[in-house]
Amino acid sequence: MTGQAFFVLTALADKPRHGYGIVGEVAELSQGRVRLKIGSLYGVLDRLADEGLIEPDREEAHDGRLRRYYRLTQDGRQALAEEAELRAATARVVRARLSQTGPAAAGAAG
Amino acid sequence: MSSNLERRYRRVLRLLPGWYRERWEDDMAAAFLDSWLTGDPAADEYISKLAGPSPAEVASVAWLAARLHLGGPATARRYAWGQAIRRAALALLLVHAVLGLNVLVLATWSRRLFGLPAPPVILATATPGGVWDAVYYVVSFAWIVIFVTLVFGRYRTARVLAALAIVPGLVALLQAEFTRVMPVPFGPWSWWILFNLVLVLAMAAFHPGAPPVARWPWLLALPAGYLVVIAPLLTLRAAGGSAWVPDLAGQCCLLVALACLAHVPRAWSRRAAGSGVWSLTLVLLAAIAGAYRIATLTGLLYDPHLVNVGLAELLIVLAAVALVAPDAARAQTAIPTRPRPRPTAA
Repeated sequence: MTGQAFFVLTALADKPRHGYGIVGEVAELSQGRVRLKIGSLYGVLDRLADEGLIEPDREEAHDGRLRRYYRLTQDGRQALAEEAELRAATARVVRARLSQTGPAAAGAAG
Repeated sequence: MSSNLERRYRRVLRLLPGWYRERWEDDMAAAFLDSWLTGDPAADEYISKLAGPSPAEVASVAWLAARLHLGGPATARRYAWGQAIRRAALALLLVHAVLGLNVLVLATWSRRLFGLPAPPVILATATPGGVWDAVYYVVSFAWIVIFVTLVFGRYRTARVLAALAIVPGLVALLQAEFTRVMPVPFGPWSWWILFNLVLVLAMAAFHPGAPPVARWPWLLALPAGYLVVIAPLLTLRAAGGSAWVPDLAGQCCLLVALACLAHVPRAWSRRAAGSGVWSLTLVLLAAIAGAYRIATLTGLLYDPHLVNVGLAELLIVLAAVALVAPDAARAQTAIPTRPRPRPTAA
């Protein structure tokens, strides 16, 4: 799963959101590090919809234009949970290795 | 009302392929306008006159367009074939499950369980007398479990069970090769290859990324298939009309032909979204039924009349599938539009 897809799925984890709502949520989740362009966002949404991980939720009229909301499917929720677990496990390994080779470990060796 | 800002953005979106714009353009334009407009009419009018898509925004659309133009038709073809293979595999599994249900019904009826009256002699089944009979019963019931397991999305479990379920048939065939004695309930090589081996291989198309199976229609197809296909055939046999009941290969050909004919109105209507994938599914099923019919013709050579009937069944399925084949070809170049959600007021 790409980083963008991970952030998009995470943005939809708590409630359905429309396109620009996802852009804003991803920016907030990533603390401003990931700022999706509309073209990139819909490339990701198209792929996730094809994979059955998200689906349309509803449409709402807003200032004369329709906002389409998307939500996670059950498969999407499961895929996100598995990806989160994988990333957490990877982070634990990285931290463990860094602690072995970091300043404290180097001091002990010397 | 379409603003200048929206028109400028939609001009950029023209870079995208038509099928993609049909699915996403309105959504993208709305999201883009959301990123600019404030809700204050005066400010929005000013923004609308002067603003436009940034170079980064144009680049992201151009990059997406390049990716879709290069990979788009392949994506459409892959999607259509993936869905068609999954549906054909489900249809083959349904055949196994309906046949398994029939074994279950006849076994229950023959033992007069639940106070049932005695069945007609021609439909009565004997109590399993040997290992092969018992194995045949277990495998028949297992197909029902495999079908339901797959429909409920337990793909890996279904694949493992199916791989195990086809082993007894293979062992029986290999034993027959050496001893020249084929255990009675098991079919010939063509059945095992087309309806067992091919099916298990096709089940690899079910993966977590695949669109989920439409659960209820497929589950309902099991009792419906029994009532619509098996029950009338049993009634015909019980009434002494066994000579009119086609053999299994003939039944497969005729069922696929009927399904093709039922699908023709959708296949010929260009407005019916997603019809092409069903057409492609029917082409695959016709290929399997036709191959099975051809392979089993050699077993009918003792009676020229039966050979003629078999050839007629083959021609019927070929003629029927020709009606949906053009739609199946179209499915490989156009991705069906995703159904739109129901609009609600803000």
